[in-house]
Amino acid sequence: MVLELQKPRPIWQIMFSTHHTDIGLLYLITSLAFLFLGGSLALAIRIELFFPNIEGTGQFIADSMTFNRIFTVHGTTLIFLFIIPFASAVGNYFVPIMVRYKDMAYPKLNAIAFWMIPPAAALVWLGFADFTWYAQPPYSIISSPGPAADMWIFGLKILGISSVLGAINFVVTILKCKHPDMSIGQVPLLAWSLLVTSVIIIVAIPTFAAALLMLLTDRLGLSGFFNPAMGGDPIAYSHLFWFTFHPEVYVLVLPAIGMMYEIIPRFSRKPIYSYNSGVFAFVLLALVSFSSWGHHMFATGMSFTEKTVFMVGTLAAVPASAMHVFNFIATMWNGRIKFSSPMMWAVGGIALFFAAGAGGVVNTAMPLDFATHDSYWVVGHFHLFVMGTIAFASIGFLYYMFPYVTGRMYNEAWGKAHFVLSFVGTILVFFTQHVLGLYGMPRRVFDYPPIPEWIVMNQIASVGAMIIGVSMVIFLANMIYSSGKGELANTDDPFGLGGKYYYPFEAKNPHH
Amino acid sequence: MKRMVGLFLVLSVLVVIPALDLAFAQGDEPGEYLDRRVIIWNLFFRMMAVAFTVGAVVAGTMMWIVWRFRESNPKAKPTAYEGTDW
Repeated sequence: MVLELQKPRPIWQIMFSTHHTDIGLLYLITSLAFLFLGGSLALAIRIELFFPNIEGTGQFIADSMTFNRIFTVHGTTLIFLFIIPFASAVGNYFVPIMVRYKDMAYPKLNAIAFWMIPPAAALVWLGFADFTWYAQPPYSIISSPGPAADMWIFGLKILGISSVLGAINFVVTILKCKHPDMSIGQVPLLAWSLLVTSVIIIVAIPTFAAALLMLLTDRLGLSGFFNPAMGGDPIAYSHLFWFTFHPEVYVLVLPAIGMMYEIIPRFSRKPIYSYNSGVFAFVLLALVSFSSWGHHMFATGMSFTEKTVFMVGTLAAVPASAMHVFNFIATMWNGRIKFSSPMMWAVGGIALFFAAGAGGVVNTAMPLDFATHDSYWVVGHFHLFVMGTIAFASIGFLYYMFPYVTGRMYNEAWGKAHFVLSFVGTILVFFTQHVLGLYGMPRRVFDYPPIPEWIVMNQIASVGAMIIGVSMVIFLANMIYSSGKGELANTDDPFGLGGKYYYPFEAKNPHH
Repeated sequence: MKRMVGLFLVLSVLVVIPALDLAFAQGDEPGEYLDRRVIIWNLFFRMMAVAFTVGAVVAGTMMWIVWRFRESNPKAKPTAYEGTDW
């Protein structure tokens, strides 16, 4: 059991440990720090867009270049430095326990994978590049100022290596180190989600690694892969980027679904309705993730046949996602549901997952994609996934694992206030952004004309963002205060659900 | 497992067939995109009608489950698994 604050250890012991719970703790703290940093940048963006730049109203952000830098680092931070490390934190804590092994398969490799994150984050944050998280060529090659852009490229390179090392560790731990008595069909769904995610990472990331190298040599003038002035093709970069980053969408969302699979049965006080369909849907989503990257590029002049193939490939994700949602609903049916904070976040996440998916289906139909392409609809859609689903599941799981990590209970009333404010704020921001897109507002703009509908909707979205900001302050206060001063948790059953909490792991998993 | 595969196949067919139909609304020529904006917006509203209907059913079901099966509901009963090592 990890009672970090009850029995404080010298910080260097944790920093230089290779034990999976210590590495998990490092991942956890790092990811939360970047959640708040990346979220602060989001607030800056929303404050800037509260008013159009009508003469006399002034600007919050000095110029468009600074605005571009802010949303580039915002996106990069929350995807690569919050969501992915948070999934690694959860995996590090629970995968060895779930497969009944003493640690991760390669503890030192695990520590190396974590310690690659701080220098990579420093490169991203100290550079503050301006070319979007997509590193849009040819702009990123011919115009984007260095060394910020080069630092971003090296930062992402390091993060990619870190992800691949972590993924290898998860695959080997789950497949080769699970207890001999345990078949693969008995591995909990959270571990399954991380296994599938890891396989996607190992297959997808090398393509982006190659694209980054090509981008760098293009910037240095050594090559012209994506530079039209040298006969290159920026669309080739789009293919390489989205071949990695459409599967990456599932790298982000599958662990979140896995976390929901852990929370929902426990708080419904009954087993998951269909374990097999959960596994089936995870594997299917992994396969489908590689058949749909082209839907990001419908507007780039692809042939009709290509677009139809990618559209159908994308739609194949719908039944698999629906299987997860039906599984959650069927699990809650006839349960006796305790609505503690983790369950509230999980149920809220499912509701927003469905809403985000419905918006995605509209995007996928290629005639409609042209109506919404590069508009705020797209911003609303993917933020509803990353915030409404992934961050909701992650935060819910953080509340769930809080007693395990600290040995204390968080303040339940604050946890519920955090949820309610975040839920309302998320709907205000991202549902409104969908409508804003239909009214024609393009994404990634520093300013917009004073069209009354645009002003009103931008202001609704900004108010929603501020509500989320307030909720996150409550969250931070709750975490800090409860870690030190919270009530001591009954670690056998901290939520009063009856039965065994987590896994009867302690005797079987002594520290090595 | 067979039932789940069957369910998946049925859901796939239900999703894919209307999607193929939609794809042909785009036309072959790039210049036709703007000319077809009325058709495209018509499709959009049809899809939104479907999305809102399905969304209302799923969201309504979830809200009912949350209300009916919460532990504070007077009708709530212990599940068959409580107190066991499931």
